[in-house]
Amino acid sequence: MEQQQLVKRFEKDSEWFYKNVDKLRKLGYSEQFVAIKNAQPIASDKSIEVVIRKLDKNKEDPSFIFIEFVHPDGYVLLL
Amino acid sequence: MVKIPIELNFFAGGLRPMLNVILSFEDPKIFLPVKAIIDTGSPTTLIGVSDMLRMRLSSLQLRKLEGSQREVNIGGGKVYTVKVDDFRLRVGNFLDTKMSVQFPISGEVKSQPSLLGVDFLEKIKANFCFNPSAKESYLEIP
Repeated sequence: MEQQQLVKRFEKDSEWFYKNVDKLRKLGYSEQFVAIKNAQPIASDKSIEVVIRKLDKNKEDPSFIFIEFVHPDGYVLLL
Repeated sequence: MVKIPIELNFFAGGLRPMLNVILSFEDPKIFLPVKAIIDTGSPTTLIGVSDMLRMRLSSLQLRKLEGSQREVNIGGGKVYTVKVDDFRLRVGNFLDTKMSVQFPISGEVKSQPSLLGVDFLEKIKANFCFNPSAKESYLEIP
């Protein structure tokens, strides 16, 4: 897949994540890093390093996979 | 003026203005799409720890990213960073710029997102509009 298409997919997956974060919590991904590809969670763990190792093992390039932490409901992050 | 639309997403307790940015660097070779939060409370632009780990840089490559080291306090945690000059940031066909970014080398806050700080807005001479009640946000650049 071309780099431009990979970037487009990354952006779509990031949009999907923020629209579906409640659904991910209900599915048990709360307090975990979740990797999203084509609007599906493909790897997760409490440790980002483990998620990246899982992606490597499945021959996925983490550079083009959207990974985000699912904060528990009600959690407030002050930046 | 060019108007760049900003996504508004609910994240970690609030509505956040977010921008899709492609980060790139020559040596070590880096090409990484990230979703970064525009944070007018942050004076500097900072790569999130998880985004840094997605780059999968070796320790040898990390050593090439030498710069002035500092400790950054974020949300009650600490991230140790190096300032790396000439990082390229691209936003679609709207903008393409090079600037210094804080690059995390270690830290206890691994869920820290990437942040586009005031230095980014200053570098691109942006007027930043964020209207949470109207759910509208955009950048205007000359």
